[in-house]
Amino acid sequence: MANVQKQFIDFHETIKLDNENETLREKREIVLNKLKKKISPDAPPYEWFGQGSYSMSTGIKPLTGEYDIDVGLFFDMPKENTEPVSAKQWVFDALNGHTESVIIKTPCVTVTYKENGQPSFHVDLTVYAAKNADGKIYLAKGRPNSALENKFWEPSDPKELIRLVNTHFDEADDRAQFRRVIRYLKRWKDEKFQSGGHSAPTGIALTVSAMSYMRPIYLVDSFTNKRKYDDLSALKTFIKNLLNAFKLIIRIDGSQVERLEVRVPTPNYDDLFAKMTDNQITTFKNKLENLLDALEEAEAEVDPVEACEILQKQFGNDFRVPPKDETAKQKSVAVTTGSSSA
Amino acid sequence: MWERIIIKYHNKYVFRRIDTGRIKINKMALLTMSKFIQLSPDATEAGGVLLGRFILDSDDIVIDNVIIPHKKDRRSRHCFIRDKHSHHSEIVRYWKESNGTCNYLGEWHTHPESLPEPSPKDICNWKRILRQAVFDSESLFFIILGTKQLKAWEGLRESLEIKLLATEI
Repeated sequence: MANVQKQFIDFHETIKLDNENETLREKREIVLNKLKKKISPDAPPYEWFGQGSYSMSTGIKPLTGEYDIDVGLFFDMPKENTEPVSAKQWVFDALNGHTESVIIKTPCVTVTYKENGQPSFHVDLTVYAAKNADGKIYLAKGRPNSALENKFWEPSDPKELIRLVNTHFDEADDRAQFRRVIRYLKRWKDEKFQSGGHSAPTGIALTVSAMSYMRPIYLVDSFTNKRKYDDLSALKTFIKNLLNAFKLIIRIDGSQVERLEVRVPTPNYDDLFAKMTDNQITTFKNKLENLLDALEEAEAEVDPVEACEILQKQFGNDFRVPPKDETAKQKSVAVTTGSSSA
Repeated sequence: MWERIIIKYHNKYVFRRIDTGRIKINKMALLTMSKFIQLSPDATEAGGVLLGRFILDSDDIVIDNVIIPHKKDRRSRHCFIRDKHSHHSEIVRYWKESNGTCNYLGEWHTHPESLPEPSPKDICNWKRILRQAVFDSESLFFIILGTKQLKAWEGLRESLEIKLLATEI
């Protein structure tokens, strides 16, 4: 079994991105200061919090170069007081004109920053009504020109979701492997799917899938009693479990499709793969099968160099193929005799 | 012709070692050796040394390179006598260029028979090498390429035990 744990750890160091990242913090501060200064006096007080992958320690550097920052805004109000789109309008009005592009999307308000004419990062601000009689939290959904039925307050519990992801697995080392495996799979997704639309699964869909189907895998060294984590095996077993979770669905027209359903463990308990069409989910499954084949092939490979070449085809160039001399023990030079064979 | 032989050998160049671990012959090494398979009736025996890596954190070994016959070697239909000095300088060159990671692993030679078996002389020679050569490991490997099959043996330095290695399925 090729030991490529070091290469996986190096890969993780290369792709990971978290709350500690200076640029992201800086940009977030700028947007939040702007909001504080310019928000309408009609708006009730709010409290902000970091959400999205960085808050769950599952963020990765984007391949496209466009970073995204997710900010949640808990407004101190019941949902009955305000229309959801009006609440988003407070945020939009405060930030509009701050950059070239500020738009209201169905789940959030997006502020895009450009560098040399190319989007360099965007901040998604999500608006919540956080002080309700039923004790629940609601997310503002809809755009100004959405049909009335698409403008609504949706039950949500973003902080609980973050808490569940951050406390998944009791032991810190298990949790660290859980996060690494999620990051590997997210980078694989960025490498294997064209961006845009719902053709690719979302990062949160992969994260929640890992909560259900990923288990830590390590060997315990019998001498030192230390754990040797095996990320290749953990990812392989996770993908195997995920593929087993696809269920055959027969449509009324007789057509068959294997779909995956993974529900977010907090309100609104949505199926995170629901937005993918049958074709998209089939493509996703095929790509997962290719990934599993590659992981199995790499695991069986004796030569770590060749194992990494197989893995690089799945994870892209940030997964480094080591030179031969990095994979071998250094020995003292041999002195041979002659040899005569028959 | 060589392509056909490579295909025949394909997936059969990973062997289980006597104790733990595996040994793999990489494609380059395999390709180089297979050029000397004694297919034509007048082809002479060929041989040389095996070079490769002891993989970190494991008992696995990868044969990356083989040294091919040198003009100072003596070759006939049923005999190959390897010159000590020319092969040794090659071993040192590979070792230096790889930072001490490409090492002497053993010996290979060809036989003009389809399913190769070591002759008593071969066994004697291998045991002599195990006793006399200076090398930084517990065992050496010996490969014979017949016209239809390649076989590998591992010889232990301490006991001089020599065992045919099974291929990994």
